[in-house]
Amino acid sequence: MSKSGRAGGLKIAVSAEGPELDAKAGERLGLAKYLLVVDLESKDFEALRNPRDSGKGAGLQVVALLIAKKCNAVLTGWCSPTAERYLSSHGVTVVTGMSGTVKEILAKFERENLKAKERMPDDLESLAWKMDRRAAMRALQSASHQIKNLLPVMISVIFLAGLFKAFLSEKFLTFFFFGSMWRDSIWGAFIGSVFAGNPINSYIIGRQLLELGVSLVAVTAFICSWVTVGLVQFPAESAALGWKFAVVRNLSCFGLSMAISFVMMFILGLFGM
Amino acid sequence: MPSIQLVFSLSVLGLYLALWHVAPEKTIVALRSSIGILFHVLLPLGMVFLIMIGLNVFLKPPHLAKILGKGTAITRNLFSAAAGIISAGPIYAWYPILKDLREKGAEHSVVAVFLVNRAVKPFLLPMMISLFGWTYVLALTFLTIAGSLFVGFVVGAFLDSPNRSRQYDEN
Repeated sequence: MSKSGRAGGLKIAVSAEGPELDAKAGERLGLAKYLLVVDLESKDFEALRNPRDSGKGAGLQVVALLIAKKCNAVLTGWCSPTAERYLSSHGVTVVTGMSGTVKEILAKFERENLKAKERMPDDLESLAWKMDRRAAMRALQSASHQIKNLLPVMISVIFLAGLFKAFLSEKFLTFFFFGSMWRDSIWGAFIGSVFAGNPINSYIIGRQLLELGVSLVAVTAFICSWVTVGLVQFPAESAALGWKFAVVRNLSCFGLSMAISFVMMFILGLFGM
Repeated sequence: MPSIQLVFSLSVLGLYLALWHVAPEKTIVALRSSIGILFHVLLPLGMVFLIMIGLNVFLKPPHLAKILGKGTAITRNLFSAAAGIISAGPIYAWYPILKDLREKGAEHSVVAVFLVNRAVKPFLLPMMISLFGWTYVLALTFLTIAGSLFVGFVVGAFLDSPNRSRQYDEN
């Protein structure tokens, strides 16, 4: 049995093949038919259908469901590393390697939890040190993972920016950005809204565009809209939050990107930049 | 199926190889320029990494989503702005959680404020400052946060029912 995150809690979720406590525990969190959420104190439980069949994003829906139900821990046979990471970062302890019926698993978890609590008064300092070290290692692993995901595209963007510098002529750029504040701002916001991804890439591209003579208004609108306006994410945003929300928010953010670009010019002008 | 990131990286490599045949001198200029940018961002990237570790240790928001439904309208929006700034990871991971919050009664305006403030990334500030300078970055950060509240207001005006917001205030 392996654990991650904080140990002990009152609301425990168990992946199960049936809606009762006698049901066999699910081997994989994302594929089990049910999630049984049990209150350890009162022994009341709620059987939830696992949203595994709802298509793309079902794994994240399970994570969202467990967080929404305020579970303190989830017991299962196996959980994907991505789901485990999200759950742990939201304070949900993930315990894997569990097998048997739901009742058996809960009894085993309660015994282990009780042993950990009995150990705590004497070993509090060493336990605290171990938890701190574990927390630091997890933080380092998480940061490494984030940087590892970020690096390949960032490096590619840097080399693409080099190509901009060498091959894009001023004549080409003046076709889009010919010095009118309004037009520069609209084009900057539009181009930024088409792109998606880590904002670090927008900073690199924006800097290169500045060095190529593109106005600060255009670059500012580009950077702002890169994250706030999402044509690429629009389908996912509509599906999750409604098309009206997606339309109103994206249009508002497009306008905001333009407004920020104008105000920035004014502010930087005050500082003589 | 290769990931889109891999396709993008390979496309840039392919572009360099193609341009090398067409215009080798300009391609060398591009390569030198890119390497220059890479060295320029290495140190800020190291700082970004350290800040990420710090945020992961000290600023874990285990119940971040909970606070978006409590307090007055102003505090909810301010908490939402803070939550958007702290939040990490791809936006696709947050959509199900935001959807769940909406179903539990969180206002559209609060969700909108959260999404706009995802543009403010504290751990990327060193990188941004190295590229644009302190004044620009501070002004942009402030304007983005202030602007997010305006976007929340606009979204709320169109989509939130006045009765819902009164119920929240009464609670």
